[in-house]
Amino acid sequence: MSGFLDARGLPRDTVLTPDLAIIGGGPAGISLALALAESGRDILLLESGGRTFEANVQKLYEGSQTGVPYIALDGGRLRYLGGSTNHWGGWTRPLDRIDFESRKGMPYFGWPFARDAIEPYFARAQALIEAGPWIYDEAGRTTSDIGPLLRLGPGGVYTSWFQFSKTQGNNLPTHFGERYQADLTKAARITPLLNANVTAIRLSPDAGRVMQLDVATLSGNRLTVKPRYTVLAAGAIETARLMLASNDVMTAGVGNGNDLVGRFFADHPIPRDVATMVLFDGRIAPFYFNNVASPEGAVMRAVLSPRPEFMRAHGVAGSLTTIENETPLDPFATAAVVTTAQALGVDASHAKAFSLGCGMEMAPDPDRRLTLGTDRDALGMPRLNLHMTISDRDFALFRQTLTELGRQLLAAKSGMLRLNRNRREEWLAAMDWGNHHLGTTRMHQNPKQGVVDADSKVHGIGNLYVAGSSVFPTYGSSNPTLNLVALTLRLADHLKKVMT
Amino acid sequence: MTRRGILAGLVAVLAAAGGAAWKFRLFAKHYPPTPYDDLLSQIVDREPAIAFGQAARKSLPGAAQLAAQIRRDPRGLPERAATEPGEARTTEVAGWVVPQSVALYAALAAQV
Repeated sequence: MSGFLDARGLPRDTVLTPDLAIIGGGPAGISLALALAESGRDILLLESGGRTFEANVQKLYEGSQTGVPYIALDGGRLRYLGGSTNHWGGWTRPLDRIDFESRKGMPYFGWPFARDAIEPYFARAQALIEAGPWIYDEAGRTTSDIGPLLRLGPGGVYTSWFQFSKTQGNNLPTHFGERYQADLTKAARITPLLNANVTAIRLSPDAGRVMQLDVATLSGNRLTVKPRYTVLAAGAIETARLMLASNDVMTAGVGNGNDLVGRFFADHPIPRDVATMVLFDGRIAPFYFNNVASPEGAVMRAVLSPRPEFMRAHGVAGSLTTIENETPLDPFATAAVVTTAQALGVDASHAKAFSLGCGMEMAPDPDRRLTLGTDRDALGMPRLNLHMTISDRDFALFRQTLTELGRQLLAAKSGMLRLNRNRREEWLAAMDWGNHHLGTTRMHQNPKQGVVDADSKVHGIGNLYVAGSSVFPTYGSSNPTLNLVALTLRLADHLKKVMT
Repeated sequence: MTRRGILAGLVAVLAAAGGAAWKFRLFAKHYPPTPYDDLLSQIVDREPAIAFGQAARKSLPGAAQLAAQIRRDPRGLPERAATEPGEARTTEVAGWVVPQSVALYAALAAQV
């Protein structure tokens, strides 16, 4: 086997027997297949869609929702080769060390390992994402020619940095399908199978192993895959759906003996205009506003992040605050600025105000979950219902970080800050989302607290693994793609060892 | 007297009058005397302070108590405003994070 195949064109009831079946041709699935290309194993990469967007395929994602308003289930992801990298913004940043820590007073926080476990994979992940040289928080040392860092007094918030996948001028971020289809074609032992929808994971009678995968096409064809190993890499929503819907042997769904699959769904809330920041001298470096090219050739943007010490001391979750557009001040705001600047002995005659946005971390919540609904899609698969939540505590914790930023601006006599969101309805009215689907097959060494173990293997099932951000037990505030690719490369190394 | 001399004299008189007006704040807004003028004089511009103080005063006591509270700290407004953020002594007024003393002085300005 090698080269792309189309499941619609294979003889009905074809049985495929790869060493490894990867379900999902997004960034995790493609990264995993390429990482194992030289492993000497036959790899079948099953992708539900084709090479481009098709509306009838995308409709398979439709579902229902309850709770806090959230993006429609078919709205924030894409079902064709390359997955949601076909519309991502390219924002790239590694998870912080603190994101992996268990934290006092913060239930469910922590990974089964420290960041060191995925550190060796970041460089290759960065290369796959095409985000340029690894700079991130070292950028402040080399961007001084472009402009100064925001002057902040000592405290809990500092300037941190995003890099971007390729984004510069007319270049779009790396679309994994387009970018790597030639590599997938060239790899002798990889067979990408398009238009192939896995509709069921069939377990052995003792539920200890995956025996086969049922595959269907929208054209009516049916295939069977009997892999030695299987990796679910279909994203945090679809992976959970397939596990929950495969309930003939384990009645609650594959790997769901402890009722965890589909729970702990998360995303990064992106509330807009969370605060107004006034700079007394009106000057701000361009890298806070726009993506700029660093001297090393990376595309970067500065954001404001809480320091780990501040997060630990105050029980604060992660956040990455962005400086958005310049905004006018009303007479009352002007009075606040003039009064404060005069008291500080600072000239504010050239002051400018800027609206701040943010990507926040949510606390894990088992009640924020995906469950099977009663409706079915065109392939007979049950559709999902998402019950979305966000707690007042999530908002309150982020507010603490903003208050600290305001204090540091005053301490440096460089500016001041107004918090624009107070009541829950104010936060929700300004809410956008990152479309970073996380957490539904969370990683934990204890099967009662996680769906997969520290190797991303589904607890209790010997040959079933999960790749992607669905395994993130704590989410951090960094965008997930770089991190999920690094974690997937770690899984590839593990599979090389076990697939003997 | 030449025309040039008259013009020079006129300019000199106008300059002296302008300087006096500035020095003695003849055109600045004047406020009725209060028992708190020693504190209010530390506010550079009372009009914006009064406007901002309207929001600050809502959760604070009356003028006499407020003045007593301010006087308990021997430092003046500029020194307090500069040091309080570093001491984590800030407060929130209508969403604005400000040094505590700024809120107190502005509230006092709005109360009298």
